[in-house]
Amino acid sequence: MPGMLAEPTVALSRLHRRRRRDEGAALFMLGPNVALFTVFVGVPILGAFALSFFAWDLNGSPTWVGLANFTAMVNDPLVSISVKNTLYFVAMGVLPTVFIALGLALLINFQFRGITIVRSLYLVPAAVSLAASAVIWQYIYAPKFGLLSFLFDKLGLTPPSDGFLFTPGWALPSLDVVCIWTTLPIAVLLYLAALQRIPESVIEAAMLDGAGWFRRVRYVIWPGVSDMTLLVAIISLIAFTASGFDLVNILTKGQPIYGTETLIYYIYYSAVVNSEWGYAAALSVLQFLMIVGILALLAGARRFLVRRP
Amino acid sequence: MRVSKRTRRATRIFFATLVGVVLAGPLLYLIAGSLMSSAQVDAATPQFIPSSLHLDDYVNGWNLVLQARTFLNSVIFVVFAVGIQWALCITGGLAVAKMRFRGRSAITSMFAVSLFIPVVTTVIPTFVVTNQFGLIDTYPGLIIPIAAQTGFGTLLFRQYIITMPQELFDAARMDGAGWWLLLRRLVVPLARPATAAYLAISVITAWNMYLWPLLAANAPHVEVLSEVVAAIGQGDNFGYNVTQPQLYAATVITVIPMVLAFLLVQPAFVRGLTGSGVE
Repeated sequence: MPGMLAEPTVALSRLHRRRRRDEGAALFMLGPNVALFTVFVGVPILGAFALSFFAWDLNGSPTWVGLANFTAMVNDPLVSISVKNTLYFVAMGVLPTVFIALGLALLINFQFRGITIVRSLYLVPAAVSLAASAVIWQYIYAPKFGLLSFLFDKLGLTPPSDGFLFTPGWALPSLDVVCIWTTLPIAVLLYLAALQRIPESVIEAAMLDGAGWFRRVRYVIWPGVSDMTLLVAIISLIAFTASGFDLVNILTKGQPIYGTETLIYYIYYSAVVNSEWGYAAALSVLQFLMIVGILALLAGARRFLVRRP
Repeated sequence: MRVSKRTRRATRIFFATLVGVVLAGPLLYLIAGSLMSSAQVDAATPQFIPSSLHLDDYVNGWNLVLQARTFLNSVIFVVFAVGIQWALCITGGLAVAKMRFRGRSAITSMFAVSLFIPVVTTVIPTFVVTNQFGLIDTYPGLIIPIAAQTGFGTLLFRQYIITMPQELFDAARMDGAGWWLLLRRLVVPLARPATAAYLAISVITAWNMYLWPLLAANAPHVEVLSEVVAAIGQGDNFGYNVTQPQLYAATVITVIPMVLAFLLVQPAFVRGLTGSGVE
């Protein structure tokens, strides 16, 4: 870690610094940051927990309802539907993102004339907003005469009857494709950074030992990028959780038959459309626990993967 | 017999390029559509090459769909949200990296913990707080809650500033230089790479942000581009006889600045994501 560089000088300078503390200057430098952070990040985090015990439509003062919001969640069929959809959406998004990104990074991890232009093609989707991606993919997914229906026909497949976005069973994976498209470039960039840290000599040694393509990836490259895999998984997890609102609100509104009702969309709907802000806060607590749970799972999975030879 | 090394290399270049074209394809397809006539976009077989160019659709897309006011709102939002956040983060990063005061490690951990709490879970209560201040549908209400998300930036600058040689700071302090002078003359210039990485991530994130503006700035005088583009996706016809290519042109106009910016700064982007000098 580069942070170590500063250490040897500490002993020398401690003499001068012992008397000097920077309380006043720190207040001036850090005060505005901490104040705004507390009001608009800290308070909302704690507020989400507090508000989950109240009923409130934003007017007047909130009414204490104890655990009523949480018991209502248990009996609300949309909660289990949206939790299931969210888990499915995240799993069907994060796993392909990780593996496709590693494959693509391996594919373009070499030098040739024009590599800069080719890499740029890979990176373009990262800069496209989810809103614009929604417009793009709606064009591609258009029923009957759309590009994807056309390709399905050419390949002898039957495109879904009500279009990709509105046929049960097709809608959620179709949204996943959009979000994979926007998330891949960042994942590829991160894997490229990790691959460039695996010494060329290690890979060559494996080749001389007669390791084939698969064994090289499995035993040299995959362990070499495992730290980055964790980061890619975390970044994708956050991206897919957020896009579970943007794409759903723009493209499907939770349809068909709640097939794309994600938890974050249901939170928004409860608050903004139903004016049940306490209930939305309780759902936010559930969303928070879900993400923390998945993060813990990822950390555990990494330990498991690293321990194996 | 084994395939020659040169053939293998050529095959790899071919596939790498092919995959690149497929990945950029959806955006290129939209750009092609934005240049076509309405009839060509609606054709029964998908069209890839515009048979005639319709650049006037870009003028109409700008005037009828996006409007200068919305574009300006997006620019104001990005400049102020990112600008204010940057100022908060670099000063805060300097404080937690080099200053000695009580509560330093507690504050540092507070920022670190906040990184694990996704914005999507706090957006509802953040709206409630902003609403209590009476700031909904105002520029400050749109900007300040985003500028206040300083966790990532403060830690990014802390990591960078902590590696700056301590002697530089000690010497300057012995000479009687104040922290403000140190910040301007030493920290800001030396932290330029960190600033580049930070800006690369923050500007694109802010420009593309949708849920927060939708909640906090839904009125026409404060709405931003992503809300208009979302309305296109939702099938809004904008009260005029706006054609499909004009809607696509409007979408392309919002995308191009970020695509160009991202391609220019992509090495900085990786540095920002990995939080260190890893390239």
